Amino acid sequence: MVLQMLVQIPLLALAGWWLAPLLTRRIVDTFSTWNRSGISGILLASLVAVVWMLPRALDAALETSWVALAKFTSVPLLVGMPLAISWPRAGFVVRGVWLVEAIAMAFRLGWLYTVSPARLCSNYLLGDQRQTGKVMLAIGVAACLLLAWKLVWGHNRIERVR
Amino acid sequence: MASLTMYPEDERLSGGNRAAFNLYIVTAVILFVLMMLVGLTMRMTQARWLDVPPDLFYELLSMHGAGMVGTMSLATTAVMWFFLRKYVHLHLWAFLANYVLFLLGALCIIVSIFVYGYGALWTFLYPLPVHGVGMWTADSSALFMLGYLLIGVGSLLFYLDAAAAIIKVHGNLGRALGLQWLFGGKIDPDHPKAVVASTMVIIANSLGILAGAVVLVMSLVNIFYPQVVLNALVAKNLIYWFGHMYINATIYMGVIAIYELLPRYTGKPYPISRPFLWSWAVSTVFVVVVFPHHLLMDFAQPRWLAIMGQIVSWGAGFPVFLVTAYGALTNIYRSNIRWTMPSRLMILSMFGWAAGIVPAILDGTIRINSVMHNTQWVPGHFHFYILLGVLAMALSLMFHEIGSRAHAAPDSRADRLGFPVYLIGGLIFVFGFLDGGRVSVPRRMAEHLQAWTFSDRIGSIGAILVVLAMLYFAIRITVGLLKPPSPSWAPEPVPGPIPEPVPSPLVSPAPSPGVVGVGTTNAAG
Repeated sequence: MVLQMLVQIPLLALAGWWLAPLLTRRIVDTFSTWNRSGISGILLASLVAVVWMLPRALDAALETSWVALAKFTSVPLLVGMPLAISWPRAGFVVRGVWLVEAIAMAFRLGWLYTVSPARLCSNYLLGDQRQTGKVMLAIGVAACLLLAWKLVWGHNRIERVR
Repeated sequence: MASLTMYPEDERLSGGNRAAFNLYIVTAVILFVLMMLVGLTMRMTQARWLDVPPDLFYELLSMHGAGMVGTMSLATTAVMWFFLRKYVHLHLWAFLANYVLFLLGALCIIVSIFVYGYGALWTFLYPLPVHGVGMWTADSSALFMLGYLLIGVGSLLFYLDAAAAIIKVHGNLGRALGLQWLFGGKIDPDHPKAVVASTMVIIANSLGILAGAVVLVMSLVNIFYPQVVLNALVAKNLIYWFGHMYINATIYMGVIAIYELLPRYTGKPYPISRPFLWSWAVSTVFVVVVFPHHLLMDFAQPRWLAIMGQIVSWGAGFPVFLVTAYGALTNIYRSNIRWTMPSRLMILSMFGWAAGIVPAILDGTIRINSVMHNTQWVPGHFHFYILLGVLAMALSLMFHEIGSRAHAAPDSRADRLGFPVYLIGGLIFVFGFLDGGRVSVPRRMAEHLQAWTFSDRIGSIGAILVVLAMLYFAIRITVGLLKPPSPSWAPEPVPGPIPEPVPSPLVSPAPSPGVVGVGTTNAAG
């Protein structure tokens, strides 16, 4: 479960991120009017990612070949790539909301997976589920610390407003 | 350094900014009056002067708690925005988004309480919201929590916008806090205290909101999937992390008004100093980890968390408070301060903050907490510092701002009458609670024994006076804000300090007298 949720799917998204520079300028510009401040792209990526957070979808991806194919195509093309295009366009607030929600979601799912009395995925044992929950909690803590470090001590462009 | 001009040009509200500020303040003062009336009703019920059924009492208690915390946050957010916008570029849309989300959240909370009967208090402690035993449904609890989520998202948007603006100017939040000057180096005298305080609030309250976002959604999961059982102690820790931080942040937003306005009324500069920066840096850490003092009675709580709660409670409020109170007192000393409504309210707020901390620190001590925490001592503490401390800070800005319409700080005869009514009523009201705590009257009970009603009745009389004063303040402020802005903002003279002020070890040497006087503008602005 850890491998599929926290290694494979993020790596697929990363592959999509790396594919983004291969898109021609024309394609990117075509969508740019619908992607002000990167909000539409980030929203698309988030909604598709939500699908792959569902235990039922994870199960189906293991049991049904066309769902597996959907995962291997949708995560790079509809999560990683839109994120790569939209992230640079997004302002501080949009990025901040997304990151805070991502961290909160890691804590929520981690908590849920560690306390759920039932197996959420039929392909994984309860022990796997709890292990995944603990790893998600650790990811949440690490991301939180990293973000706090970056904001408090990071090097950012200084601009004198007045 | 804060301006010494009474109404500097860079603070002038116009267009959308003015409309947004007025919306915040008018909404806040109306809600304060309404929530105070709710509180008065409960106090009079405990005093057996009114006969409110227990189920309605707990609905009112839920409304009063959630409403007062939210409204205080709304008012002090306006204080932070009002001053911070002079130093960094804040977006009006974020300020307005916070307001709209606050209203939507408040609507959810009001409907969940008065339409669907939610009565599990503002703390929504798990698993009470799902055990309404016929008085409220789990759906009403879900609506209440949705209201909190909306309010939290609004605050987060405002903080993120403020963080972005601060980082743009100062590079990172650490530099905005002044961490680079903690151990040496020449402190920039123009580094705004408003930026330091705002940065602390952004860091601490964003973490609190994150904790709230986790526990609120997990509580919603539990409502809709009861088979997912949460660890009640973890949930309580997160709820108090969120709740304590959210209300505590109001004082740190409100105190910005003191830093900015007090020097204008004393006519003396209020420079930034190393102890000031140290106090805010230490408090940034302490306020984040102080919440376990709410769980000192939870026997299952890990021992180290309880000890941390006690030790940090002793230290959390002190650094900023001591530096602020000492700095304010040295600023007032021999200053020839002009005693008008804003200055009176500022000094009252220092007293309310100082005196309100004492019962808090006592209650933050494990030995005392085990006896006092479930008594009226605790509402005595938080009403003390919120009513006479934080609210007074917010009111000082409101009165100062309505003075801008007439080019003079307000000080009418009615103001001079309203202030002592508020002060005396507030003192009677909070001492009613503290005396109830002294004789072990329990808190949060809808029905009181006859033997407990003495302090309830005293408290009710105080509350009536407070409501009357606040009603007057609300009308005065609303009418004052809705007046058209004055055509010009010619700066008026401020009283100069009496020569040879006593040097303070907590403040840097005062700049030359030339910076004090007519038309002095803010160097940072």
